[in-house]
Amino acid sequence: MMDWAQDSLEKVALSRQARAEQPPPKLTDEESEALLNEFHPDYLGMERTVNVGPNAGTQKFPLELAELLESDSPVPQGFEPAIDITTDVLILGGGGAGAAAALTLAESGLNVHLATKLRLGDANTVMAEGGIQAALTDQDSTRRHFADSYVGGHGNNDPELLRVLCEYGPESILWLSRLGCLFDQNEDGTFRLRRGGGTSVPRVLACRDYTGLEIMRVLKDAVLLTPTKILENHSAVELLDDGEGQITGAVLWDRASGKLVSVSARAVILATGGSGQLRLQGFPTSNHLGATGDGLILAYRQGCQLIHTDSYQYHPSGSCYPEALAGQLVTESIRAIGAQVLNVHGERFIDEMITRDVLAGAIIKEVAQNRGVPTPTHRAGVWLDTPLIELINGEGTLRRQFPGIIHRFERYGIDPAKHPLLVYPTLHYQNGGIRIDAFGQTDLQGLWAAGEVTGGLHGTNRLMGNSLLDITVFGRRAAESVMEKIPERQEATLVGLKKFREGLHEIQHPSPRTAPLLFPVASKMKFQLSGEASGESTNEASEEKTQFREPPDPFGRRMG
Amino acid sequence: MKLEPETVEISVTGKPVQAKAGETIIHALWTAGMGDAIKTGCVGGGCGACTVTIRFKDGKPGGTDLACLRPVEEGMEVFPCPVESIPAVAPSLEPDVASLQAAFPTLNRCTKCGSCTTACPMTIPVMDSVLRMQEGRFDEVSDDFTTCIHCGLCRFVCEDKVKPHNMGLWVRRSQGLSRDNPSLDQSSLTESGDELEKEWSYLFTGDPKERLRRAKYFREHGRAGA
Repeated sequence: MMDWAQDSLEKVALSRQARAEQPPPKLTDEESEALLNEFHPDYLGMERTVNVGPNAGTQKFPLELAELLESDSPVPQGFEPAIDITTDVLILGGGGAGAAAALTLAESGLNVHLATKLRLGDANTVMAEGGIQAALTDQDSTRRHFADSYVGGHGNNDPELLRVLCEYGPESILWLSRLGCLFDQNEDGTFRLRRGGGTSVPRVLACRDYTGLEIMRVLKDAVLLTPTKILENHSAVELLDDGEGQITGAVLWDRASGKLVSVSARAVILATGGSGQLRLQGFPTSNHLGATGDGLILAYRQGCQLIHTDSYQYHPSGSCYPEALAGQLVTESIRAIGAQVLNVHGERFIDEMITRDVLAGAIIKEVAQNRGVPTPTHRAGVWLDTPLIELINGEGTLRRQFPGIIHRFERYGIDPAKHPLLVYPTLHYQNGGIRIDAFGQTDLQGLWAAGEVTGGLHGTNRLMGNSLLDITVFGRRAAESVMEKIPERQEATLVGLKKFREGLHEIQHPSPRTAPLLFPVASKMKFQLSGEASGESTNEASEEKTQFREPPDPFGRRMG
Repeated sequence: MKLEPETVEISVTGKPVQAKAGETIIHALWTAGMGDAIKTGCVGGGCGACTVTIRFKDGKPGGTDLACLRPVEEGMEVFPCPVESIPAVAPSLEPDVASLQAAFPTLNRCTKCGSCTTACPMTIPVMDSVLRMQEGRFDEVSDDFTTCIHCGLCRFVCEDKVKPHNMGLWVRRSQGLSRDNPSLDQSSLTESGDELEKEWSYLFTGDPKERLRRAKYFREHGRAGA
């Protein structure tokens, strides 16, 4: 296995015993900053301002997102919404945040529809492996959780949102447990807690390396037992408004029938998740098929401020061999229990438990300076020394605690208990998003948002285990706020879109795409209305000039 | 080292697709512009949307799998095999064989053919676990189904209408609902005392730079500074 890297693997094996005892290399704050500034993709200037919408001219966006923000809607000119569905609450998104909101609304007496582009639960939530944070021990506190997350987010976090997150941590674990989530326990029944990068005490609860899957399958099952009406394969393509700035529903695209469906709602909760499938700078992603930032586009068009959308999380340990697993996650927990990160010489170059952004920068640096391990599939990465876990914690530890990793690599003949893995940063999480208040309400009347689509909570770098907590706390909180403040039904029109389109006319070079994108460009899947001739619809434009490798290769543009 | 990827030909629902060796069925379909041919969700083996059956022209054993994890191979014939979900069944606060049987009347219809175990893309010992359910060995069942992604293939292939993965979730949720969590006793859920507000006020005081300094102090010492 991997005999093309035999020399390097021997060095790793030879130094293993000695490394097991060594403390991690320490970095000063200045050295961390230098790694970020020189090597982290967020800091390379691949961004620009846009010429439309509430942040026009004032804020920078990644180039790929900027193009979408300046794109026209796929809704045909002249389309007038004739209401097909009337509901009290429309939840857009079928991941953890949407499901938590639906469950919370189940007893409210309000009529609830949940629309999702794929199926209920086909979301980044199921792919969250490592865990969920909550301050539950004597040596810990909600303030310490806050302090860790605030430092991790470089102090750019909205402190009010972050305080809510931390204060509701323990209660959220209770809520999830009462729904039937089985978090790993120690012998005495207390939860087994691990460290995450940037946590000062063990605070991360897990269900092996399937924590998000455990939470999502339980939430999904619970939602299916409520009267919530689920609209699967229904993508939100536009928000409806009353002409005076209040959100009053949405236009959905039913992928099966190819028709547009207009929904009138008194309240809309956006829980559409992130945008890893925009593949910024050609990076591979750990995200699901639908993670194309749709919610950002819809809310921005209506006038919502976006914050920190120039900040993305590149998860340091994305798999980069075998090719079929490129971009997929190897959980941070595996570093928390001892796996070290090594360059081609078998040398440790960084503290593996430093925050994700700094570690990602450090790995990119090693590879950029030719200390990475080249693969036969034209990628390069660094070693994640998984056999060290067995050396430190005893044989069988990986299989017991990380069945997911074993399962995924085993089918390619790689046993992580015996063989180090090759990793390289993968586009993982959208740190920024739609601005919300501490109750999940956006800048607009009638519109709430929760989860990865929102910005502010995590600052410019999220700690492991804070996103599963985010969707739980803020999914529920948005729903509670809706129950309290739901407005009366107003007319549902496309006035907001018309105004946005007028703004687009002013732009010199509007994008030839339509947005929301709905599917990754590389998938060639498209928005199409029934009756439209195949292949003649939108989104053709940029494909011609962009040659995609799938999964993409981050070196495509940077290195020969 | 630079090697050019080898090209292989597979077919999806009878249509030929050229693919690069080493890539997954889903990625081959994307490149071929046939992304709609197989229902897709997480593209990471976690959601169970992209269930397929696989055959080989040369008679090599095929079977079921997830198209997002399965690399292409020469001569592979792929057929989408989407599995519709079925209505959920409420978990029980007192899980035992009787309440499981009441929730899933087909529990004992298993004829031990083993198809479910063969079909499982997560290598769960499904059939053995169904037998454990019949005996009420629920701790083991919960453990067996830890990695279940609810793709539904075990239920899809069952001739006897047994619903292994639905029962697995029912057992897990019921055990979760009914077990003790000593970490969640009252004292860990409610914080109080003078320190509490003092500490929050310490963390919320000053300009952003000062707050960051204070947060750094707090995380290192676990308490507010002077």
